[in-house]
This record gives sequence, C-alpha cells and structure tokens, in this order.
Amino acid sequence: MRARLVARDDVLRIVDLLRARGYDVVAPFMGRGRDTWFDLVTDDNRSAVALHVPNPYYPPKRYVLPHIERLMVLRNVNGRFEAEAQPETQRLAVFGIRSCDLAGIKHLDRFYLGREYRDVYYESLRRGMFLVNMACTDPEQDIGPDCFCVCADTGPAARDGFDLQLVDLGDSFMAVAGTPQGEELFSEPIFARAHESDLARRRDVLAQARRSFRANTSWFTAAVRAVSTDSIPEKTWEEIGNRCLECGGCTFVCPACTCFTVTDRAIGPDTYERVRVWDSCALNGFTRMAGGFNPRRAVHDRRNRRFFRKLSHYFVQRELSVACVGCGRCAAVCHGDIGMPSVVEMIRRSLAEASQSQVAKPQGPMRAYR
Amino acid sequence: MTGLDANVYLPRPAILDRVEDEIADVRSFYWHFEDPADDERFAGFLPGQFAQVSVIGAGEFPASLPPSPTERERFFTVRKVGSVTDALHALKPGDGFGVRGPYGNGFPMDAYEGMDLVFVAGGIGIIPLRSCIVYAMHHRQRYGRIQVFYGARTPRELMYRTAMDAWAAAEGVECYRTVDRADETWDGPVGVVGSLFKLPGVTVPVGNTVAFVCGPPIMFRFVIKDLLAMGLPEGRIVSTLERYMKCGVGKCGHCCIGVAYVCVDGPVFTYEQIRKLGEDI
Repeated sequence: MRARLVARDDVLRIVDLLRARGYDVVAPFMGRGRDTWFDLVTDDNRSAVALHVPNPYYPPKRYVLPHIERLMVLRNVNGRFEAEAQPETQRLAVFGIRSCDLAGIKHLDRFYLGREYRDVYYESLRRGMFLVNMACTDPEQDIGPDCFCVCADTGPAARDGFDLQLVDLGDSFMAVAGTPQGEELFSEPIFARAHESDLARRRDVLAQARRSFRANTSWFTAAVRAVSTDSIPEKTWEEIGNRCLECGGCTFVCPACTCFTVTDRAIGPDTYERVRVWDSCALNGFTRMAGGFNPRRAVHDRRNRRFFRKLSHYFVQRELSVACVGCGRCAAVCHGDIGMPSVVEMIRRSLAEASQSQVAKPQGPMRAYR
Repeated sequence: MTGLDANVYLPRPAILDRVEDEIADVRSFYWHFEDPADDERFAGFLPGQFAQVSVIGAGEFPASLPPSPTERERFFTVRKVGSVTDALHALKPGDGFGVRGPYGNGFPMDAYEGMDLVFVAGGIGIIPLRSCIVYAMHHRQRYGRIQVFYGARTPRELMYRTAMDAWAAAEGVECYRTVDRADETWDGPVGVVGSLFKLPGVTVPVGNTVAFVCGPPIMFRFVIKDLLAMGLPEGRIVSTLERYMKCGVGKCGHCCIGVAYVCVDGPVFTYEQIRKLGEDI
C-alpha cells in the first residue's frame, strides 16, 4: 500500500493539484439540510467543497453515463442516409466520490466494457477520469440512516477502483494511491511520509466507522441466495409490486443501474440527433413492443425483475460484482418503502413465515416434547 | 462491425433497391450496403440472427433476417406496426436507410447436421424461419427429412407464396399449408397449424428431430403442446423470441428476461430455456 499523510488544512490542495494537471474537478457541496450535490469546482466555490457530506442523491454515475447523451447525428442528404458519431472525451476528476459509488462505476465498467461488445461512449468518458475516494467515517454526515455498504461489501473504504483514497484521521488525512496516476501526486510537497502508527490509526478509524452503520441488512447475502434459487413466494413479489408507484426513482438514483432508451429528435432540416436517455424497468412501457404486446404485464413482474437482475447469483457471476452497492439511495427516495433494504427484509420475513408454517404442522413426537 | 474499436451503435448506410408486397401491411425490402466492405462484414450472418434498421427521422428497430446466408440478396420482411416500421414502409426505391448487425446467436445449424428438421410457423412467424429453410435446402445432403408446416388466418395472409410453392414442388422437402378460414380460392386444408400433423399420410418423426417453432403466442402454445405430446423433448424444440430492443448488443436492458439478454444470448432459445426464463412468449 502506497500511503502518505496530508495535513487537514492541505487536503483541498489536492483539488488544486488536479486542476493544475488539466482536470476539470467535480466535488460534493452542501446546501440546506440534506441537500447535497456534485458540482464543478471553480476558483469561487473551491473553499466550499464539503469533505464530509451526506452522499448526493443524484449519483456521480452521470459523469460517465450521462442522463442524456448524444450518440450520433443522422442526416438525410438528398435521400442518402448519413450517420456521424463523435464520442465525447473528458479529463475529469471526481473528488470525494464515496466507496459505494466507486463500486457502482466498477460495476458499470464490467457491464459496458466487458463481454463481447464494448460501449465506446462509456469508454471514451471513462478513460479520462481520475477518482478520489473519500472513506465514509463521519457518523453524522457520511453514514446515513439507509447506508448498507458494509452488507454489500463495498465500504466504508473501497479496496480498489480509485486513483487516490482519503481517510480522515482527524488532524490529517491518510492518502492511499490505487494507480500510478494517483501515486504521481505523491511527489508534491503536501504529501508527507506515513508511519506504521498512522496505518494503525487508519484501521481504528475505519473499524469505528463500521460500527456506526444503523441499517440492518445483514440478511443481504441470504437474499441473494433466495432470489437465485427462486425460492421467494409469488405472494411476496405481489406485495412488493403493490407498493410500487412506478415512478422509476429507484433506478434513476442507482449507481449500478445501466438501462437506457434511445430516441431520435430533430435538430435541423433533415438532421436528427440520436440520444440515449436513462430508462427504468419500473416504467410500464419498458418492455412494450410495437403493436402493444407487453410480456411483463403486472407491476410485480417488473419489480421482481429489478431485484432479480440485481441479486441473482447468475448476474453476480456474469459481471463479477453485485448490481447493488449498498448506497441506500433507493430506500431514501422510494415513496412505497421498497428500497433494497426493505425488500431484503420482506424476503427474509416471507421465508421465515414459510419455514415456520412448516414447523407448525402437527407432528406427533414434537408435540409430546413441549 | 464487431471490432474492438468499432462503434457498435453506428448504423452503416444502405440503399433500398425494390420492395415487394407480401400480404396486407407486410412488405419485403430488398437493399444493399453503400459500401461493399460493409456487406462483406455482414455476409457471415447465421439463420436466426437479426439486424438493427434505422429510418431517418423515425428511429431504429430490430428486424429478422429472412434471407439465408447462402443467398446473395439482402432483404427484410417487415410488418407495418409502429412509427419506425411505418416510416420504412414509406420509403421508395433509391432511398437511403441505416443497417447495423448482424446480432444474436442464430440457429446452430451445424449442430443439427444429420437430424430431421421440422419447421412450424404461423403468420409472419415464417420470416425468421425462411432463412433456416432455405439454408437447409441449400445444404440438403447435411440434413435428414425436411418438413415445413405453415398456417395463416386466411389464404390472403399466406406469406412467401412463390417461394413456398417452389419448396412444395422441390425434391426432398415436404411442405404443408393450412388456413384458419378458407375462401373460394382455397381448396387446401382448413384448421390451425397443429392440425397438419394429423393429416392423412403425414408422419412426423421425433426420434432424431429438431422442431423450429415461430408464430403468434397462442399458436406457439398449442404447437408446443402438440410437439411434446408427440414425444419431442423440450431441448429439441427451438424458437426465436421477439422483444423490445434499443441497442441489440446487450446494453440497453429492455430485452432482458430471466438470466438472458435476448439480443446477445438469444434470440434463439430452446423451449426448455424459454420455459425457465419465466416470461410470456
């Protein structure tokens, strides 16, 4: 582990160093109450960058998979078909990305760049990114009531996927380099040598952080097994479906959701742009074909689909990571209280009931025991 | 078009050469790529694969490839059913449109070598199967018996009439057609496509047979029932699924059912797989 110490007062100098290296830097900012967001750092707002902050609901995923993204321009040139594509490039550093969102990007990497087809738009944005992970150690700000990264095994401090990682030790931050680009920064004078005792402090801080999580979703891995073995009663999916308002909110705030739709819109005479837009499996039209046939009719079919896609062992193996990173955003935004933690709990309860009713069947010798 | 640096979403320019009306609202579009190099890349397609077709100003949709790779002609057969297919139907010979592909797994025709082939299609379900039938006839010596069972609602709605008349007349292929409702032009069998299996003189071997089934959901369900009753195992009934698709390359997520993305893991599945995917056909 390549580690250095940065004095507390110097930590935002990392933002300056990245800007000096030609990166646009985005970082978290805090408004009133729970209102937080990632924004471009400028000379004017630089001092307002928030180190410990409730994770913004709008995930930094959008820097690599924009909400709306132009894929190409299509032209009708005297009856001829012309398509021209220019994938966007960027040199962008995300300062203060949380471990869950980092795991989300890692998942997107595997999804968009793995397997037989590579997504050049994703690749083109991703290639120019520098990721500075801030470990979640502040129980008041960083660790929210819905956070369950400890159960999804993504936090509070990411193990990999970052260029640089910061852990707050109080008077200073421990910086860990994850890539040669990250390590290159260590030549700057703000980075001082770290000692064995600092590493011990880092371990203590993270152990303390782990104890600060409130959401109890330790049953998460068991839910993976239950979904993968198709042992969840249909009734439970129906209950979950009954509570879904079909708003798509859970998918739009999810750092690991990948679905998009594609649409063409006019931008001039005989000229159209083809854009991709985030889409959601919660929406009724998601699977509806031309002509009206929809293979997924009921809302609980669609909810089942979302959780199956996220938790099934098959896809975990296929992408080598779970499509749920434990950020808790779906739990925070869902009006029907069927975010991932609640669904895990509903699955747990339904299986517990099923096994109880089996035990409760009249069984002679068992009764004699009581 | 599947190279590492290639932009998989970018359609290649194509030109419409001529159209041929098949039945009401269903038309075949004969076309060629502007750039012969695109055609060379496209030429290796398999029966059962599909392409993404772009029409300027309307959008993009997935379309089966009815021609066999053994044929030189490139064409799509498309029903007018929504905004993009409406726009395609409005194109005139000489007009340009976009094509990318081929995509999907296709039918494993090599694996079926030496087997008897039974094709069962209803309505426009014959479109993707046309490719396999022509392919199998081209490589006649590689397969056992070839039987085609085809049903449409009315005689007017029988697809690929000329081609099918030719198949019926050809050596080594048995071709049976039926309609749900006859009219004065029809003196053939009347009834659902499954009733053809029971026609006098018709025998359908099942010992070493693979059955290709394609058609509307209700037809699919009944034909599957018939085939299973005849003793065909689920793993030797194959079909191709239709789903809403935006990308064709396993990214947009619309066609994902069960553990499969229909566009890359399908569209060809055995009935055994389809049943486990757990969604309506």
